[in-house]
Amino acid sequence: MMRSDFGRAVSASAVVALLAGLWSWLDPSLALASEAGEKMHGFGNSKPVAFLFWMFAAGTLGGSLFVITRRNMVAAVMGMVATFFAIAGLYLMLYASFLAVIQVLVYAGAIMVLFVFVIMILNKEEDEPWALEGLLGKGLAGLSLLYLFVRVGQVLWSVRDQAVDLSKAPLPKLVDLASQSQQAQDALAGGLAYPDKWQRAYEFGSVKGVGYTLFTDYLFPFEAVSLVLLVAVVGAIAIAHPSAKEQKGPEAS
Amino acid sequence: MSIFYDLTTSHFLVLAAALFCIGIVGVLLRRNVLIVMMSIELMLNAGNITVLAFSRHFGADPQAAFQGQTLALMVIAVAAAEAAVGLAIAVAVFRGRHHTNIDRLSMLKN
Repeated sequence: MMRSDFGRAVSASAVVALLAGLWSWLDPSLALASEAGEKMHGFGNSKPVAFLFWMFAAGTLGGSLFVITRRNMVAAVMGMVATFFAIAGLYLMLYASFLAVIQVLVYAGAIMVLFVFVIMILNKEEDEPWALEGLLGKGLAGLSLLYLFVRVGQVLWSVRDQAVDLSKAPLPKLVDLASQSQQAQDALAGGLAYPDKWQRAYEFGSVKGVGYTLFTDYLFPFEAVSLVLLVAVVGAIAIAHPSAKEQKGPEAS
Repeated sequence: MSIFYDLTTSHFLVLAAALFCIGIVGVLLRRNVLIVMMSIELMLNAGNITVLAFSRHFGADPQAAFQGQTLALMVIAVAAAEAAVGLAIAVAVFRGRHHTNIDRLSMLKN
């Protein structure tokens, strides 16, 4: 009884958070762009932006708590999908728009679908969510985790006053092609996407910028990761394939 | 209440730390191997949030602007590969043992 009430409470709070987010988006008085936020790479100390952060943070933490406390595995996967959507919202706030879309497509769209497939294959009745043996050791683990979180949080919180003063950093500007040097124009005509390094920084988080970086500075990791994915596909098929003995077992009897 | 209104990078870092701790709790306290693997994915996402928060923190530097996002992209790709192989192992183990209780999967044979 308590578990279903918790699930209902989580769903209700998620609906309330979504409605509040929708209202803050539609209400013209809560303009999301503030003067400080108009600057490049600035959060803007505006209340709606902070509200968005707390909404996505609540979605992330609520979804992850939902995952680790559910007895039903499909419900846990759905909680994971909600967590990934909230994390994609956080990525958008961090000016990583390409990563946000990739997060939704790959993590929520492919990896979680794989988990659902395997859950359907492993059609086993659910075990107890919390193991009862060794409760003292596990309680000790929980307390030490809490201590770890408090100390790590203290360290991470103490650096907030050492933020880079973005008002003093040179703002990247859009580059007018005609005003460039002949060398830059030749480079652009030769297919180079960015004649100026500051323009690359201006398009922070865009598909073009990440793609340009991936194919020039990090070309070798890109190719290596594609090799890793190939090996993973072949290995997964090789591991999950039933052996010859299992295949002709029913006929041999 | 400026802690709620003034967003800093540390907000994202502490959130990622909390998500990481929730992932560790899931790995330690759950017995189902699939939930354990989902908790591992939670920890990887926490690392991604940290990397992207620092990438935005140093966003004014044109050299370091895209390093964090490229690293996060690589982490997502490698996590996909690891999830595929791990799930294949889980399926293969389940075919032999007929259960997914990691407390009982402690010996190589029975």
